[in-house]
Amino acid sequence: MADLLKKELQTYEARKAELIGKYRGKFALIKDADVLGVFDTKLDAIRQGYERFGRVPFLVKQIVEIETPQHFTSNLLGV
Amino acid sequence: MPSFTTQVPNLQGIGPLVEVRLAVGSIIEEVLRKDEQLVPTPILVNAMIDTGATGTVVREDIPAQLGLDPTGVTLINTPSSTDVECYEYLVRLLFPNRVVVETTVIGAPLKGQHIQSLIGRDVLRHGVFIYIGYTNTFTLSF
Repeated sequence: MADLLKKELQTYEARKAELIGKYRGKFALIKDADVLGVFDTKLDAIRQGYERFGRVPFLVKQIVEIETPQHFTSNLLGV
Repeated sequence: MPSFTTQVPNLQGIGPLVEVRLAVGSIIEEVLRKDEQLVPTPILVNAMIDTGATGTVVREDIPAQLGLDPTGVTLINTPSSTDVECYEYLVRLLFPNRVVVETTVIGAPLKGQHIQSLIGRDVLRHGVFIYIGYTNTFTLSF
């Protein structure tokens, strides 16, 4: 899963410690092997991503030590 | 305060279902217009307002119909799975009465044919959700 953003996720993991030290809680914009910026909000990071790259996959990731999963009680979800 | 009220024949049995149009995010629309490209027509879906959902979900095939690429990855837990990676996409949710919410949604499989989206607490956090069981009506205000 997440093959479309595999490189970007690897970049995030490789830079995670450094990013947490400086920018905990903010949102990183990542394309391929580059962290292109850090933003206060997710929408700001997405806007910058579309302005720079247009309609291609890119990763906006909140910089946190431990990722909290989103929870769903509905059994309508097929996963 | 923008709002809409919906009445369904059997609110307890069916749940708070509402027709929502899914459109590309405003940022994407701006980029498309600047490049003189066509803006995809919004897609009409049946959505259930789900207070048991942390975030909003759309059926996984819908983002491709809007020409969307992922802008993130998130982990989800469901009654049958944990830590499942899913893509996130930027969309606008166009509710009745011109109530518009821009948010990222999760693309995931949804069982059955009748519901294509779950409206989660990421949307509800901005508003007031009123569920009146004895009149089979519900209201969402922002």
